[in-house]
Amino acid sequence: MIEMSHVSKTYERRDGTPVAALRDVSFSIGAGEFVTVRGPSGSGKSSLLNILGCLDTPSEGTYLLAGEDVSRYSDKERSSVRCRRIGFVFQSFNLLPRTTALENVEIPMVYSGDRVDRAKASAILRRVGLAERAGHFATELSGGEQQRVAIARALMNDPPLLLADEPTGNLDSVAGASIMQLLSDLHQEGRTIVLVTHDEQVASHASRELLLRDGMLVSDRQQALIHATP
Amino acid sequence: MTSNQAFALALRTLSRNRLRTFFMMLGLTVGIGSLTALSSVGESTKQETMRRFKRMVGTFDTVIVRPGAGRTRGMPSLTTVEPSLKFDDAQAMATEVPSVRRVAEVQNAFDIDVKYRDKTASPSVFGVSSNWTDLRDDEVAQGSEITDADIQGLARVAVIGADVKANLFGDEDPIGKTFRIADVPFQIQGVLASRGAGPGGGSLDNLVLIPVTTASKRLFNRDFLTMVIAQLKDPEQGDRAVEEITALLRERHHIVPPAQDDFTITNPRAAMARVTEVGSTLSKVLTGVAAMATVIGGVVIMSLMLIAVSERRTEIGVRRSVGASRTDIMIQFLLEAVTVSALGGIAGIAIGAGGTTVATMIQQLPPAIVWSAIGSAVLLSLAIGLVFGLQPAWKASNVDPIKALRS
Ligand SMILES: Nc1ncnc2c1ncn2[C@@H]1O[C@H](COP(=O)(O)OP(=O)(O)OP(=O)(O)O)[C@@H](O)[C@H]1O
Ligand SMILES: [Mg+2]
Repeated sequence: MIEMSHVSKTYERRDGTPVAALRDVSFSIGAGEFVTVRGPSGSGKSSLLNILGCLDTPSEGTYLLAGEDVSRYSDKERSSVRCRRIGFVFQSFNLLPRTTALENVEIPMVYSGDRVDRAKASAILRRVGLAERAGHFATELSGGEQQRVAIARALMNDPPLLLADEPTGNLDSVAGASIMQLLSDLHQEGRTIVLVTHDEQVASHASRELLLRDGMLVSDRQQALIHATP
Repeated sequence: MTSNQAFALALRTLSRNRLRTFFMMLGLTVGIGSLTALSSVGESTKQETMRRFKRMVGTFDTVIVRPGAGRTRGMPSLTTVEPSLKFDDAQAMATEVPSVRRVAEVQNAFDIDVKYRDKTASPSVFGVSSNWTDLRDDEVAQGSEITDADIQGLARVAVIGADVKANLFGDEDPIGKTFRIADVPFQIQGVLASRGAGPGGGSLDNLVLIPVTTASKRLFNRDFLTMVIAQLKDPEQGDRAVEEITALLRERHHIVPPAQDDFTITNPRAAMARVTEVGSTLSKVLTGVAAMATVIGGVVIMSLMLIAVSERRTEIGVRRSVGASRTDIMIQFLLEAVTVSALGGIAGIAIGAGGTTVATMIQQLPPAIVWSAIGSAVLLSLAIGLVFGLQPAWKASNVDPIKALRS
């Protein structure tokens, strides 16, 4: 489903000096895999995820998503890829203030061109265990609950690929574990998941681990799946 | 995103930030409100002036020729004019000037004593041709007008104005009654419909009409006219008619420029245009201030939107991450600006129209809801929203989602 070949990403600092966030990274991910990306701070994990999520484009190399070279897509085309095929979950939950949980979940629908389907948004909120919180504002929810709303939002347009950048980074271990359980369940339902984390414990949920260092892919190993226990 | 969804989103965002929305609307509401009120009051005043002017001159397809060099303003009178304009001159205008269709000859004097039994009044007396009522757009409310036969027969008949009827006859029916004009008996054969007040506010109904021939030979004993009203074949040809009549009268009166003319021609249509074109300086200044308030309202919208863009970076990042393109974001913010300015404009129009209604009621002007003014106010507020929303929208569309979503 994902094929990265010789992808590099170079940022320019404010003073003009280049920073290589990714160097010549190549790998592929099949449909239905659960992959974690680990590495020290600054190793390029987020940069990689942003490219995977079509929020950013590689400076060099190509990125094929379902056989299409999305690295050459225009802003409009990448937007429609993000809308239909990718769900994003962030470390900071990024819910909109003064907006209810349900309305947060509904946001992606207006960009898909489908009719707004409130029943579907409610169903997804129920799926992440927050049916009774639908009318609450983001500020009235705990961190774990906010992240669940964020995951529900990412699922709204039924994307096959879910990208999560340290989704448990701002949560305590109990809330973090339940988010990981939710992601594992979503993986079981057939979604492809790429998850960035520092946490080895978290990484143990995945079937495969990519290790980055200084923007380079230094290790790619399969591992036995360990299912988290609630 | 469909346009309905985009519009609903704009309304929701605006209603969730009531205070900010209020301040965004405020400047524009004040500006558009004052502009609407000013142009409506201006239009109302103009219409009233026009109405009074028309009441005085009757129709706009005439030019008026008076004797004398035209130093004096207002109505001429037999006692004040030069005896230079003769019946022959009027006939020559009717027959020799191509742009003139027909003329009315007038011989009038003010403050003539009239008597009926023990009642007296002092109206203006007008000796007129039979086409007077037509050219003046007068209406005979009762009885009949002055006829050609009356003119030819030097008949002692009169048509009286509404004021004269009220003063001399009260509720009595005046038709067929005999009354005295400067001690000469006349029989009343008609009563004019009321014309109301003239431009100066005075009554236009305090008059008596008699045949011009009777006036000249039996009452005033004068052979010159105080006024000739020349009706034009084409109402647009006023200037040409003025030139042609000037040429004719100069020839007939042996006047060679630079010698001064012994007659004056006025063109009511042109005079009217002059009166209504010139707005007062005050209203011009006020309009300028109101226009400025409108522009400031636009600047306020822009500033608050720019601040909002900074505050809403996360929202922009989220929307981009779930599929909004830069264009979607641009449209969203532009639509918010246009919606808020349209709302501000509509509030302004409502307030302005309300203020106008009150003002016209106080000043006893005709109520003027000027649709063209309201239409342009709507367009103006939409344009303001579009123009001043452009920069914030552009800034919003340029927010880097990656940076906005970090932290
Ligand atoms: N927009 C940018 N401009 C300049 N440099 C950048 C930009 N984004 C990232 N970098 C640099 O690229 C490198 C990789 O950054 P990245 O955010 O991908 O690391 P990371 O592995 O996600 O780190 P962390 O674990 O701290 O989140 C870093 O050195 C960072 O300073
Ligand atoms: Mg990172």
